[in-house]
Amino acid sequence: MNILAKKLKLEKPIPWTFYPLLLLTLLGVVLCIYRLAVGLGKTTNMNDAYPWGIWISVDLFLIPVAGAAFTMSLIAYFFGRKRYEAIIRPAVVAGFLGYGVVGVLLFLDIGRWHQFYNIFNPQYINVHSFLEEVSLCITLYTFILMLEVAPVFLEKFNLKVPVQFIENSIFFIAGVGVVLSLLHQSSLGSMFLLMRYKLNPLWWSPALPLMFLLQSVVTGLATTAVAINLIWRMRGLPIDRDLFRRIGQAMSLVLALYAALKLGDTMGSGDMELLMRFDSFSIIAWLEIFVGTLIPMAILFSRLVGHSMGPFWAGIFVLIGTLINRLVVSWIGLTEPSPTPYFPSWIEIMITVGLGAGAFLIYGVIVYYFNPLPDPKAAHS
Amino acid sequence: MPSLSRRDFLKIAAAGACTAAVSSAAAPVLAKEVDPLEQFGMLYDATMCVGCNGCTNACRQWNNTSPEVVSGLYDAPKTLSVHTWTMIQLYQEGDTYSFVKRACMHCVDPACVSGCPVHALQKSDEGPVTYDPDRCIGCRYCMYTCPFHVPRFEWDAVLPVVAKCTLCVDRVKQGLGSACAERCPTGALIWGKRGELIAEAEGRIKANPERYVDHIYGKDDAGGTSILYLSSVPFEKLGLDNMGTEPIPALSERTGNVFIPSILIGGPLLLMATRAIAKREGWA
Repeated sequence: MNILAKKLKLEKPIPWTFYPLLLLTLLGVVLCIYRLAVGLGKTTNMNDAYPWGIWISVDLFLIPVAGAAFTMSLIAYFFGRKRYEAIIRPAVVAGFLGYGVVGVLLFLDIGRWHQFYNIFNPQYINVHSFLEEVSLCITLYTFILMLEVAPVFLEKFNLKVPVQFIENSIFFIAGVGVVLSLLHQSSLGSMFLLMRYKLNPLWWSPALPLMFLLQSVVTGLATTAVAINLIWRMRGLPIDRDLFRRIGQAMSLVLALYAALKLGDTMGSGDMELLMRFDSFSIIAWLEIFVGTLIPMAILFSRLVGHSMGPFWAGIFVLIGTLINRLVVSWIGLTEPSPTPYFPSWIEIMITVGLGAGAFLIYGVIVYYFNPLPDPKAAHS
Repeated sequence: MPSLSRRDFLKIAAAGACTAAVSSAAAPVLAKEVDPLEQFGMLYDATMCVGCNGCTNACRQWNNTSPEVVSGLYDAPKTLSVHTWTMIQLYQEGDTYSFVKRACMHCVDPACVSGCPVHALQKSDEGPVTYDPDRCIGCRYCMYTCPFHVPRFEWDAVLPVVAKCTLCVDRVKQGLGSACAERCPTGALIWGKRGELIAEAEGRIKANPERYVDHIYGKDDAGGTSILYLSSVPFEKLGLDNMGTEPIPALSERTGNVFIPSILIGGPLLLMATRAIAKREGWA
């Protein structure tokens, strides 16, 4: 391993964990090519009753997770919280990789990928389609994140002029990023407004765009709390407890808003009766409410918010809650009468795992060989 | 401390303008407004249908779809599929039974057309909801937006298409009616202008009120459909649910009209305001 590191003239030896990740990534890439070559029917278990599979579920989960990037930009640049600039880079790099995975999965998922560019053709674009809006916003936002991530690499190679340029226009770049995020995070929920007679009524609501927007902020904060904790531990840095407490408090505030909206919506729509049936869907709904909202709120509104692991665990619960929500909305709760059951094929799973491994590998390389965390002391001065 | 420098203001304002310009890119040329009563459609009277599947076969012959041999020698599809664009299902409960024809309803204001990102699905002036494979990216959003579970996917193909009843748009262009209505031996399925078909259905209910549920499904349901149904059993039993009279896309399009401009205009303004306040108050 160290021989390879020397040959590549790397500063540090390659950690062993990179090799299995690389192997999974390569397998994923091979399977991606196979799927594009032979079609969806031979590689996936999707059917006419479940025309969207696990890839779309993963996308719907990853988009709010990658919302960490816009949430942190919002706090650092617009709320003027300078100390957060220290953690904005890891959030932005993670966001960029998250959207990268989303993009690849979407490309694999569409059946007629040979003409994917039709979504950019002004003569074809449907302005009423939330799916179109989400596609455009995500594409543009990926470019924005690319600009925000670029300094990590440019600094390594001492390219001062472009770094200076990006830093000078960071409010413009971050501003566009925040607006694009507000748009597509809410529109992701709006996409389901047309599915009133497909989506389970416990999850369908006219307030879906607002719910998805609040969820994306909570999930973004949760991802930040979890990821920063892990990165700081890995790098042996002292944990900034005050910073965690503040992230935790922000999370609790937005969670409370979300809980109020969800409660009001359930009462207003008469879904309370469905929620009290305790059939399988009602139990899943309760699970989501407890894990994703009530437990993290209990942690964050107690003294645990000041403990270094409090916001971390609240974050873990929020992430699981969001995962449940997105699995139901895109798979379990979205169906037609007497459907053929769906469970992802091994190829669908291995492609997902492979792309995830690829993202972790790139993240690992960046954390290990580049410097996504500016010196905390420098950030304070 | 200065609240917000002119430089910052310009940067953020430009951010908003740029986003706005991209998101509201060229509006498509929408179909001309045609009176839905003047559009073509079909009336299916379930009380007259004998379940012969003549419509299924006529559809196969005209559109060259392949039979689905389920067991033995019979072409017996159970549901709509990429190969079967229309078929007859049987509802049975005790002594009551009814046939029901399945196919695209060709909604007056279709959810699939509203959702399709690239206008691969369009409502034509003549009535049929048409599909253009050269535009379609295969996202399958239409399969989820359709409240009648109609569009089906060509899963086995490398570059699959979406398939559904075309309301014989190619025959309509030649001045003909649909192949299935032409074949129907009992007159359970008839072709015509939507307005005339509604008048015909109202006449049948009036002449034989004991024979029918007093409702023409599709006259106003889900904002109206080009395929109209008469039945002796409640429509929910035939899989035709009560969806109210508002078109399915109405809520989605209303939300878009409110949400997107609010975020595009309000977003940058809020960001600038927040930044100004943060600077003045010295948040850190």
